[in-house]
Amino acid sequence: MHVLIINGSPRVKKFSNTDKILQVFNEGMMESDNTYEQYEVSNRNQWEKIRNAFDRCDNILIALPLFVECIPGLLLEFLETVTPKSGNATMSFILQSGFAEGVQLRCGEEYLQKLAGLLGCRYGGTLVKGNNFSIRLVEGQERENMTAPYKDMGRIFGQKGNFEDEECRKFTGPEIFPAPVRLLVGLMFKTFAAKSFEKTAKEWGCTRPLKDRPYQAG
Amino acid sequence: MILIVNTTENKEITSRISEELKSKNITFEIMETADKKIGHCIGCNYCWLKTPGICSVKDDYEEILKKLVNSDQLWVISNTALGFIDHKGKNIIDRIIPLATMHLYFKKKQMRHVLRYKKHTDVGFVYIGEADREYLNKWSERVAVNFGSKSLGAFPKEDWKEAAACMY
Ligand SMILES: Cc1cc2nc3c(=O)[nH]c(=O)nc-3n(C[C@H](O)[C@H](O)[C@H](O)COP(=O)(O)O)c2cc1C
Repeated sequence: MHVLIINGSPRVKKFSNTDKILQVFNEGMMESDNTYEQYEVSNRNQWEKIRNAFDRCDNILIALPLFVECIPGLLLEFLETVTPKSGNATMSFILQSGFAEGVQLRCGEEYLQKLAGLLGCRYGGTLVKGNNFSIRLVEGQERENMTAPYKDMGRIFGQKGNFEDEECRKFTGPEIFPAPVRLLVGLMFKTFAAKSFEKTAKEWGCTRPLKDRPYQAG
Repeated sequence: MILIVNTTENKEITSRISEELKSKNITFEIMETADKKIGHCIGCNYCWLKTPGICSVKDDYEEILKKLVNSDQLWVISNTALGFIDHKGKNIIDRIIPLATMHLYFKKKQMRHVLRYKKHTDVGFVYIGEADREYLNKWSERVAVNFGSKSLGAFPKEDWKEAAACMY
């Protein structure tokens, strides 16, 4: 099968977590006899090319970050310009996010399910997973640990052409973390995570506290 | 204060809402942004990690952000696309994230960002065109959860009076 892959992140390719996920996902997908072409909506110069590919391809995979509980404004702007398909195309999605629990992505997933139909495609399912915020902030083994699980999913997609497999459903992990995990992770937020965010901020040249209120005292 | 951001060319709706609110002596401000320069969130994370609370995209959105920190309600008036509000409406919400900080905690069993300001702004939508109202209501609830506020709901243009009745 030939797959059109659209990275729906507004972040430039170099820094896009979605892109790092796709790199690994595509490796898995290419283990079976597939081909693909990939584009980024963050690059407006590609929009005409993406529209052409959209008209041409029957297997469409949109990979996107969750942006305030739904699809990013820029991806929406792009999709407003495509002509809905007529025929037998399948549209599947990789929806990834910062927050880690499955429940955080369900509102976005619900929209994607409708979106496929509105764009004239059969819905091929959504691969849902959070906890990806830090991919761009880490390197080497640490990054690999975060993206590696997507290889198996690529393999399944490469064989079936959709995310309807039970393994893909399970990939999300827990909908809500159990209380002891919340306690532990909550503690980590206040200690390790807070420190590492401050470290990143310093490296980025931040000179004010992260909780600063630039626009008013209250 | 009630902040109403109209991302559409339809000025009739804002003039009606304006008359209605004036007659009730409600403090509000209408921002007509159809012709303003408001881009999309580029996901740079500078507002969380480099210039806390300040967006790196230098355009007309900053004016909205400055007003938001003193607003009890934000209403976005938007055209629709693909069953949802269109990208201009969505951009107003995506660009709101400087109101949150990088820091995380659990609230009602779910991860949330620690909010930057004490004031938490309720959100509501008036949409012009076809959309899935039930979904918009659900989404608006989720938006509000992230900003420690409540959803005022999504109203089709025809029901603007109902929306205006929530503006107090
Ligand atoms: C404007 C904006 C809104 C976001 N909204 C959410 C959200 O509602 N829930 C969530 O879990 N993550 C949210 N995120 C986090 C991103 O989904 C996450 O960092 C993702 O990995 C970014 O992928 P990308 O680098 O390909 O853009 C948001 C990020 C941005 C910049």
